Amino acid sequence: MAKSKPKVGIFGLTGCAGDQLQILNCEDQLIPLARQMDIVDWVMASSRNDHTCRLDIAFVEGVVATERDLESLKEIRARTKTLVALGTCAVWGGLPAMHNEIPREVLQREVYHSSPLHFLDTVEALPPTHFVPFEITLPGCPIERHEFLRVAHALLAGAMPEFHMLPVCWECKAKENLCRVVYFQEVCAGAMTRGGCGARCPSHAVACAGCRGPLEEPNYDANITMFADRGISWVEIARKMSQFSAPVWIKQGLEKEVRHERRR
Amino acid sequence: MSAAGRSIVIPHLGRVEGHGGIFVKVVGGRVHEVNMDIFEGSRYYEALLKGKHFLDVQGVITRVCAICSAGHTVAALAALENALGIGSSPRVFKMRGLLTLGATIESHALHVFALALPDFLGFDSVIAMAEKYPREVTFALKLKQLGNRIQELIGGRAVHPVNTLVGGFGKLPRHRDLEEIRAALAAAQGPLAGFVELAASIEVPDFAARPTVFVALRPHEEGYRFRGSTLCTSRGEEFPVAEYRDVVREFTVEHSHAKHAALASGETYMVGSLARLALWGDRLVGQAREAFQRLFPRGVEENVLTNTWAQLVELVHCLERGQQVCEELLGLPEEEREMQDYRVRAGRGVGAIEVPRGTLIHEYSFDDDGIIESANVITPTAQNLANTERDLRAAVERLLASDVGSESILKLKLEMVARAYDPCISCSVHVTCL
Repeated sequence: MAKSKPKVGIFGLTGCAGDQLQILNCEDQLIPLARQMDIVDWVMASSRNDHTCRLDIAFVEGVVATERDLESLKEIRARTKTLVALGTCAVWGGLPAMHNEIPREVLQREVYHSSPLHFLDTVEALPPTHFVPFEITLPGCPIERHEFLRVAHALLAGAMPEFHMLPVCWECKAKENLCRVVYFQEVCAGAMTRGGCGARCPSHAVACAGCRGPLEEPNYDANITMFADRGISWVEIARKMSQFSAPVWIKQGLEKEVRHERRR
Repeated sequence: MSAAGRSIVIPHLGRVEGHGGIFVKVVGGRVHEVNMDIFEGSRYYEALLKGKHFLDVQGVITRVCAICSAGHTVAALAALENALGIGSSPRVFKMRGLLTLGATIESHALHVFALALPDFLGFDSVIAMAEKYPREVTFALKLKQLGNRIQELIGGRAVHPVNTLVGGFGKLPRHRDLEEIRAALAAAQGPLAGFVELAASIEVPDFAARPTVFVALRPHEEGYRFRGSTLCTSRGEEFPVAEYRDVVREFTVEHSHAKHAALASGETYMVGSLARLALWGDRLVGQAREAFQRLFPRGVEENVLTNTWAQLVELVHCLERGQQVCEELLGLPEEEREMQDYRVRAGRGVGAIEVPRGTLIHEYSFDDDGIIESANVITPTAQNLANTERDLRAAVERLLASDVGSESILKLKLEMVARAYDPCISCSVHVTCL
């Protein structure tokens, strides 16, 4: 045998398990891929796991929403050489982070009818990238299978994967879809959102909700102004933008728009 | 076995979706406490929906859980459309049905072959199983892929659909794509029948068997179907699904981030494939009927470990029924898009569907501008948790009495009970009431 297989761990913090499911969804390529790795810690797929050994590669999905999540994340970081954030929750916070300005006690009262509930050690939902450094970030809600495979194959070859950072808007134009903003006066996050999905939503006549998170330098102001100039209300703009990457947009100016929303 | 106090702890249950564990305390030879610990974090989606427009609901609520994303989508859209007072066109109704069948094929294939079968064949994972059973595992993954292809075609994406809208679909499938799916469904029938034979040769243990109340939706038409508007119990009770709050009582327990549920009588119950077969199995036709008779020669018994075989019967059904629905859709003219017009007005609506793990109920209310005022989601796993604990208790009592062997064998058997329910823990943490 030439060299030993890399030890791999796959982990989910708080989330929908969609990114781990997308790994399982690589059906045709799953077993050949798994043969090249030594997957030693994957609770979702195996009942025998090593929770302490050193890992060459680890994939982490989900947000940090409990104290326990944060502990697990730090443990994973400490034992891993190359750490990959999988999915928009892990990279940006995603939907669970869309209203971090609302105190958890208020949400607890609404959901469990009493507060405080001490057994719920929930904290504000933040992305793992907020707490520890990651070598690679792969957003998407869920991740695209072809992108995951690209990351996995590059790492197995000892290389870093490369992605071109084009917006969803570019992929949408290449597909010659009718523009959701220009023709339908909708709030579409496609020009501010990282592509790779092949513009799935606009190709189904639905505006981009920004599920893959922002580009490196999104032109937030110009986009928001364009929506407003088309007669879309600030309330509507704030509502649509307070979804997948709300914490990012808040820093860019969404705070002003959100003030138009009704308070609870 | 020692008669003194001891604890059996499975800190992190493997081969299930989400984060949970099992804790059992035995004092003086008697089982004192049995808990399914659910420590998955809460994401409060239903509370976060408040203030959003009803058109944004599906994109948010589908993300409660990836494996069940199509089920949440169909339930949410049905509830919202009921609130608006609009029905679905025949094409939209059939397409959502096909989406549900695709999701069930994907989910059942994943659970039966990758999560549960390793227990019965003595492996830790499907990846380990692939070394000894390469042909079987390859077919199982192909079947799962077929479920995903259907979801991709109808929903626009295998996980978290995008094409599914209030009132219709953004884009309709081409006839040639439907023909391909129909052919693939037909081609999978033979190999799946082989699996039914393999399953029939495996004896299912009965250490967790216990009298159980089964609950499932009455199918909306004669036949074995996954949608309906009446909740039925195996005791012969029936309730309109809109009155679910009178039937399903929820309560909070300290060891679980997910609420528990029981019937108004205080009895726990089971939802899922086994419950559906118990109530409506006599409606199965064709190969699904044969598979049912082969795997349940004495009919459905109250043993949750047979739920995996019930899923296998439903897989056979989904392959056959999927071909019929494709046929029906092919009988309609090929078109680009189908959307119903509607007027936004205040309303409240309930939608229910049988998803792979059991009955899923969504309820929403919104104001005249379409802004969400309240949301409630009742997931199958949360309904099953209290019943799972009772099955675990029965299993521990029986296994301790019969001297099962080593601690690790005892733990494995308890894990099998929990896994048989195919729990979806992400979902369960979102049983909420506003």
